[in-house]
Amino acid sequence: MPEFEPRIVAFVCNWCTYAGADLTGTSRIKYSPNVEVIRFPCTGRIDFMLLLKAFAEGADGIIISGCHPNDCHYTSGNFHARRRWILFRGLLDFMGIDVERVQFSWVSAAEGAKWADVVNTTVEAVRKLGPYENFRKIDRAGAV
Amino acid sequence: MDELRKKARALLEAGEVRVVIGYGGGTGDRARAIFVREPERADELIFDGRCRQNLAIYLTRREVKELGKPAIVATLPALKTVLQLAGEFQIAEGGLVVLAPGADGSLIEFKTFADIEKYLAGAASPIDPAEQAEMDRVRAMSPDERWKYWLGQISRCIKCYACRQACPMCYCPRCTVECNQPQWIPVPSHELGNLEWNVMRAMHLAGRCVDCGDCSRACPVGIPLYLLNRVLIGDIESNFHQRAGMKAEVDYALSTFHPDDRENFIR
Amino acid sequence: MSRIGVFICHCGENIGATVDCEKVAAAAAKIPGVVHSVDYKYMCSDPGQNMIKEAIREKNLTGVVVGACSPRMHEPTFRRACEEAGLNPFLCEMANIREHCSWVHEKGDPTTEKAIDLVRVIVEKVRRNKPLVPIKVPVTKTALVLGGGIAGIQAALDIANAGHKVIMVERSPSIGGHMSQLSETFPTLDCSQCILTPRMVEVARHANITLHTYSEIESIEGFIGNFKVKIRKKARSIDMKACTGCGLCSQKCPTRKIPSEFDAGLGTRPAIYVPFPQAVPNKPVIDRLNCTYYLKGKCRLCEKVCPTQAIRFDQEDEIVEADIGAVVLATGFEIKHGDFFPEYGFGKFKDVIDGMQFERLASASGPTLGEIRRPSDGKKPETVVFIACAGSRDPAKGIEYCSKICCMYTAKHAMLYRHKVHGGNAYIFYMDIRAGGKMYEEFVRRAIEEDGVKYVRGRVSRVYEREGKLIVQGADTLLGAQPVEIEADMVVLATAAVANDGAEELAQKMHVSYDAHKFFAEAHPKLKPVETNTAGIFLAGACQAPKDIPESVAQASGAASKVGALFSQDELTREPVIAVVNRSAPPLYSTCVGCFLCQAACPYQAIEREEIRTRDGKLIKTVAKVNPGLCQGCGTCVAVCRTKAIDLQGFSNEQVFAEVMALLDRSEPDAGI
Repeated sequence: MPEFEPRIVAFVCNWCTYAGADLTGTSRIKYSPNVEVIRFPCTGRIDFMLLLKAFAEGADGIIISGCHPNDCHYTSGNFHARRRWILFRGLLDFMGIDVERVQFSWVSAAEGAKWADVVNTTVEAVRKLGPYENFRKIDRAGAV
Repeated sequence: MDELRKKARALLEAGEVRVVIGYGGGTGDRARAIFVREPERADELIFDGRCRQNLAIYLTRREVKELGKPAIVATLPALKTVLQLAGEFQIAEGGLVVLAPGADGSLIEFKTFADIEKYLAGAASPIDPAEQAEMDRVRAMSPDERWKYWLGQISRCIKCYACRQACPMCYCPRCTVECNQPQWIPVPSHELGNLEWNVMRAMHLAGRCVDCGDCSRACPVGIPLYLLNRVLIGDIESNFHQRAGMKAEVDYALSTFHPDDRENFIR
Repeated sequence: MSRIGVFICHCGENIGATVDCEKVAAAAAKIPGVVHSVDYKYMCSDPGQNMIKEAIREKNLTGVVVGACSPRMHEPTFRRACEEAGLNPFLCEMANIREHCSWVHEKGDPTTEKAIDLVRVIVEKVRRNKPLVPIKVPVTKTALVLGGGIAGIQAALDIANAGHKVIMVERSPSIGGHMSQLSETFPTLDCSQCILTPRMVEVARHANITLHTYSEIESIEGFIGNFKVKIRKKARSIDMKACTGCGLCSQKCPTRKIPSEFDAGLGTRPAIYVPFPQAVPNKPVIDRLNCTYYLKGKCRLCEKVCPTQAIRFDQEDEIVEADIGAVVLATGFEIKHGDFFPEYGFGKFKDVIDGMQFERLASASGPTLGEIRRPSDGKKPETVVFIACAGSRDPAKGIEYCSKICCMYTAKHAMLYRHKVHGGNAYIFYMDIRAGGKMYEEFVRRAIEEDGVKYVRGRVSRVYEREGKLIVQGADTLLGAQPVEIEADMVVLATAAVANDGAEELAQKMHVSYDAHKFFAEAHPKLKPVETNTAGIFLAGACQAPKDIPESVAQASGAASKVGALFSQDELTREPVIAVVNRSAPPLYSTCVGCFLCQAACPYQAIEREEIRTRDGKLIKTVAKVNPGLCQGCGTCVAVCRTKAIDLQGFSNEQVFAEVMALLDRSEPDAGI
């Protein structure tokens, strides 16, 4: 049986993590191709519903990453995001949704190596957890 | 009760308010919301242990607003709702009269939001022991058990939106569930859509829910929605030291922040 | 139906060596709505750009996706190409298959498959892109400079010399700021007044500068290019037009023992006074809190002696309104007063003074005419101890930061003292000597080597009096924390530089952020040091953080150049990536419920209230409205809005939602759609 290849969606901000991931590229640091990035202006823009949508559409893991505290391009979008994630993560956990599959991180525009590391460790962690069967099995056929 | 009726009659007679939103006798042994507009009907008002519905829900209803300035018979959660609605610019100081009857027949009339704030600062909000026991039980479960528990609960959801209808903070004229560009929440009532709806509802109430419990009581299939609300209430209180409905000004945990907010999961 | 063109770039070998570009182009061609899909060696080259332009014209494309490098690299290039071919530039997006794919993964199917995913995601985004038009905001070409110290003066002169109008507001009776109080300046020891006064005069005489001294900001509203400001001109009790500045009133004023602010309390002044001889404007002000007439209702001696009848006891505050396009905040700093240190005996012992007081003692225009004489008995001190870091870098005192200027001015003080009191002993207690700056280290070395200043590395624990001497107890950490005791005649505390009084209220009034120490916050700690997070408001000088003169001047010129750039056009063009609150048909008008929770979340105060009224003026609903002049497009409000009434142009809900859906959907496109 071939090894399980998880699919991981990364929601990142334009100014720090996206630029950091660009630097990973410019520095030719290799990492796992299982992660694909969607660009947002700021972590403050990321709607919590998008995380649920990603799981619903078959993501096995999620990365959310933006500027370090105090470094937000918009000064405070990441602080707002952090509050939102604190609550949202608690709610998901309480509902038995696997929060181990969601990796939050701060990756600056200078941290190309950190981005590669965040991706690789998340991919490995999710690979160990296996496909997110709970969400794949959830009924979506419509009520009678 | 006499005090309440007397006050309601006086307010209506003096023309100080146009309607008194209170409780009256309903079918069987139930109490229901009544809207008293004539002084002579003030005697229909009752107040006892059956009067639990959070009447503040009617403050934002268009058909009630059109009646004119209201007086509202407020329980403890309704008082909090009044402040929360004020903090969200839905009602204004002087736009309503707030009457809080006590179990002993006494009556407090709140003249200002500041008076309500003062009163609430000293009031205890007891939690139903059976509900607390359920909370403890779910918290003690493993993540997998919790998932099964909630899947069991939400699979019974019929997406009737009674929870939304009963909620005094769900006053949006167009709920996001009705948004179809994009279709955030699937229309049919299947497990996935039900899950997404319930998560969204809880998140939209995070930092705003006054824990009146009307959503759980309204749910026709008995989903313990109060659990979701209370997890968020607890997290907000322990992390951000904020409680909804305690101030008549903008005080929303999710539109503010502290640079030193603590978490243990961001690397 | 969309007509999207996809252009996959090989970037030579950069993408082509790891990603099968042909396969990516072929896969993209199958996506519904994609009518053109090609791959090419260098899309950013002229032939590559021409391919895009031709395809736009020939195939009438409604959207363009370039699968190439990072949009942070070439998005402007391709958007410009689209614009040149007649396509709205905001209908062009890039899929990053180089930095995020070919450069970081090995050659192989998963890499190509990822590239296909990334292109598909952007195709779905572009399908939902809307043509956007850059926002134009008119600009009022008048700048408000708040604060008349050296930073404000420099900024005002630079802006005025660029041909723009400047309104300068200074809260004290004269401009000049702290620099006018200084004796000599490091590292050149030239006289502060001598280099400053000509600048002050230039401000007063400049045709483009309107000066309001003894004035404060009452209120400010509006946004970049379009502020409205109200200035409170405090009653000076003088008719400025009639007054000739002859000074007779000050000479005759019977109330003379008021501690002089300018002399840091070491000298005195009358109740009607000009703060210092070179003041600009050189006209007096009546200090109503100390004037006998205001206190007791009798006197009016100044009125009697004034040759031009310029005294106005009944003058009231005046409010002046102005339209301005930009603001430079240059409100400066204050030094922490000595009473912050009970252990050093400030206030208890007359000869324990702070750095500003020493400046006045050393100044030729000061109370001792530049001779170093101690305040208690006017004797020349034979031994002076200077204590650096009095408060700074002291978390226990609540000031963690370095005040930055003290190392240098303490070296200067010790040097000046040694020049003026030959044979005197100068000791400096210090933590570290921070002399970063052009000629700064050399200056400190000069103090030590040529002027014989004795540096003791260690902190002072206590200053007390014994037989007419000040005993300074400290430790020398370079000698193994050996206790040191020095008998001094005078002690000078280099107290911490702190934010000015009222900085917090001013910041709130101006809607700019400030840090924990009430210094104003720059928009970005490295790349936007003169901008604030409110567009159109800039920072100069020590209101942002402690700074010396050269730094303050450099920042002021920086702020002025930002203002000049802003004023170089009649209209301001801004990226249309901003939030918008939806509007819809009655009876809803907007899905906004007017809860205004977004208002608190906005880092830019860009969310305003808008009243929707019927034709006859009846209020229907109050909803949020995003001010396009202020919004920077972060989208925090969008995530806060429960009803999705706010959306972010360029990153709309529809777009990002479609991206998530498309990313995970690897199924073959349904030919039926």
